[in-house]
Amino acid sequence: MRLNDDSPPSVAVSSRRRFLRSLGALAAGTTLVAACGPTQPAAAPTSAPEPTSAPKPAGAAPTPAAAAPTTAAAAPAQATPGSLGNKQISIEWWRRNYTPGSQNAETITSDAAVKGFRDRFPNVSITIQGGPFGPETDQKFDIAILQQHAGPDVFHTTGGDVLKYAAASQLAPPPFDDNDRKDFNSSALQATTYKGQAVAYPLWIVPWYEYINLELFKEAGVEPPKDGSWTYQQFMDAAKKLTYKRPSGTQVYGFAQGNDEYAFLLIDGARPYSQDLKQWTFNTPQAESGFNKWLALPQGKLEPPDYLTLKPNDAEAHFANKDVAILQRPSAFINVLNGKPQEWKFGENWDIANFPKGDADQSGWGGLGFIAVREQQDADKKAAAHAFARYLTGPDIGPDLQKATVEYWLAPSARTSAAGAYAAYHPAKAKVAKMGSFTYVLPNVRTWSEIDQKVLRPATDAVLEGKKQPKQALEEVAPQAQALLDEANK
Amino acid sequence: MRTAAPRYSVSAFAARYGWSYIFIAPTLLFFALFTVVPVLQAFTLSLQNATIVGGTWVGFANFVTLAGDPIFRLAVLHTVVYALITVAAQIFLALFIAGLLQPLPKTAQVFYRALFYLPLVNSAILVAMVWRWIFNPNPFGLANALVQLFGLSPHPWIGSSDEALAAVILSTVLIIPGGGVVLYSAAMGGIPKELYEAADVEGASWYRKWRHITIPLLRPTTLYLIVVYTIAAFQVFERVYIMTNGGGPNNATITIVQLIYSTAFQFGRYGLASAQAVVLFVMAVAVAVIQFRWLQSDVEY
Repeated sequence: MRLNDDSPPSVAVSSRRRFLRSLGALAAGTTLVAACGPTQPAAAPTSAPEPTSAPKPAGAAPTPAAAAPTTAAAAPAQATPGSLGNKQISIEWWRRNYTPGSQNAETITSDAAVKGFRDRFPNVSITIQGGPFGPETDQKFDIAILQQHAGPDVFHTTGGDVLKYAAASQLAPPPFDDNDRKDFNSSALQATTYKGQAVAYPLWIVPWYEYINLELFKEAGVEPPKDGSWTYQQFMDAAKKLTYKRPSGTQVYGFAQGNDEYAFLLIDGARPYSQDLKQWTFNTPQAESGFNKWLALPQGKLEPPDYLTLKPNDAEAHFANKDVAILQRPSAFINVLNGKPQEWKFGENWDIANFPKGDADQSGWGGLGFIAVREQQDADKKAAAHAFARYLTGPDIGPDLQKATVEYWLAPSARTSAAGAYAAYHPAKAKVAKMGSFTYVLPNVRTWSEIDQKVLRPATDAVLEGKKQPKQALEEVAPQAQALLDEANK
Repeated sequence: MRTAAPRYSVSAFAARYGWSYIFIAPTLLFFALFTVVPVLQAFTLSLQNATIVGGTWVGFANFVTLAGDPIFRLAVLHTVVYALITVAAQIFLALFIAGLLQPLPKTAQVFYRALFYLPLVNSAILVAMVWRWIFNPNPFGLANALVQLFGLSPHPWIGSSDEALAAVILSTVLIIPGGGVVLYSAAMGGIPKELYEAADVEGASWYRKWRHITIPLLRPTTLYLIVVYTIAAFQVFERVYIMTNGGGPNNATITIVQLIYSTAFQFGRYGLASAQAVVLFVMAVAVAVIQFRWLQSDVEY
């Protein structure tokens, strides 16, 4: 359609039209790719990222964008108080969710920790950098440490990140002695080991266990597990009796958990990897046996019908709404229940119990948080950072934070010597503090989130839906998981 | 006999119209800087084993990996199925509702256009969360509450690998496409009344008027909407991510953009994710070209 008499001859119209059409197609296409295609970030971080305060669930796995593994950093300068001397040293601590002036737990505990440390080492000043939780902050963190080799002197981190930074030789390994090694939970210490060397300070170890609604137990005539210990059979019997319809018509289910938890695969002694992390071992008869025990829950309709899409918060909501009698979650949920003292009274209408015991030794699934020190040339800063990291993960911080929220900080501690402060805080936490001893912490494998999300979870979903047998699914997973494990070990 | 078109050189074209491009230069500059350059970078990354700290050149290895990846193939299939169904449904719905609005008085048309368009300003995340509740497998999910009213048993919806993708598609299809309604409505208003009057004189039925006047003259609008809706459908992410925890049971709802997100930001494989984005780009361009060729008419917009 010609718009006016000045329109150019047809060839020109055609070429202009073609030109504009090409430009339009390019615009549409580039917009599309720009919208969905990742590009490598280049900006410097402006705020500090920080590890999550609870172990990252599989669904929110860290970004293990590791470089080709190289040897871990050289042995650090000893971070003993004596090495700090009286020289004025300033270090930077990156702490996610730290917001100056706010009353959130990260801010309160961080300010109190800095004050406690400064009382001991007045010559060391510490600046805290905050930053929101989330992938953007994760990425800023990666850019600072991996690309710019700068940023925090000391920081919180989680499993996948520890390995990523260790592989890039950006972590200064802690100078642990034999007493330290005995003091730390062995599983926690193993999870922070990279190429035979501990590369960060285990801070807290979080077990997954069972929250039980005592009112529903009473209503269904089920005896709660004595001292919180029960076998798988006792657990299943209870879950079956606790799945019932009330006279009002509301359905109560025996059990719920987040859809990203693999605790039942461990119950008969199976572990995902061999001790040396070279072999994928979640295809053993023990794993199959554990899987069958897990499968019995959805098969018996003992879980709510949304069990395959239950995010942790959804699972907690089921328990909080009193339509689930046994909930599998870690310790942070204690604070949620304690936050409603009128509704939830520990020992009266709720309690906690161990993860049920199967055919092997008592075990449970757990997560871990770390404090890491960044490798750098400045020996003074590094020594101060090590001293601070030792303080943050050691027994002194408990009493210092007692008036803050120590139970949040330790959650509970990965050190036996520091666990007491947590245990003293609440009777429920006293029970949880003992669970660290049998908690299995997933060792660091760079490709775990890919194994988990791309390979293992779809397979477990298929089994729990009844579309595959456990043995078949685990055997199908094995070669793919092994390939990713081999890649991580390169 | 055909006559050759008069020769019109590039220099003549530039002399005549070159100045006009000065006016769009600022926009073009921003477009180049913030869109074209990152896209070219994405193409480059797709040929590398790129991680956060850099990358090594691997040629087309990432594309070979994708070709052998069953999850990527599944994501492509889901994306195509989602696009085919939702685009067809949205076009039909928009056309149907715009057709219903056409006979109404002007003020009523304006009111209804605004009414249908308003929901679009809602946050996509919030909308997805509402749909997550609607298709919740528990009896309190709205969809299950409704089916139970008719004596049917509740469905697992997003909790089942058999129904999750259908639930995600339904959540898109059941929303009236406000933008399409507005555009179709405006385009229908622009069709000359004389054509309908002539058809009336000839005794044409409403169907023949619709089939031979309305639909052909709405072709440019239809083309535009199909291209826009197809690209939007290829980019589906937030519904999958929110409604089905980013892929659903047994990857039942995994789509290409969801996979790009996981591959880049959860697995740290930026090169592979860029290759996935390039494949998506090629798919979108190919579909757009086909749509242009198939639907383009002499009527210009």
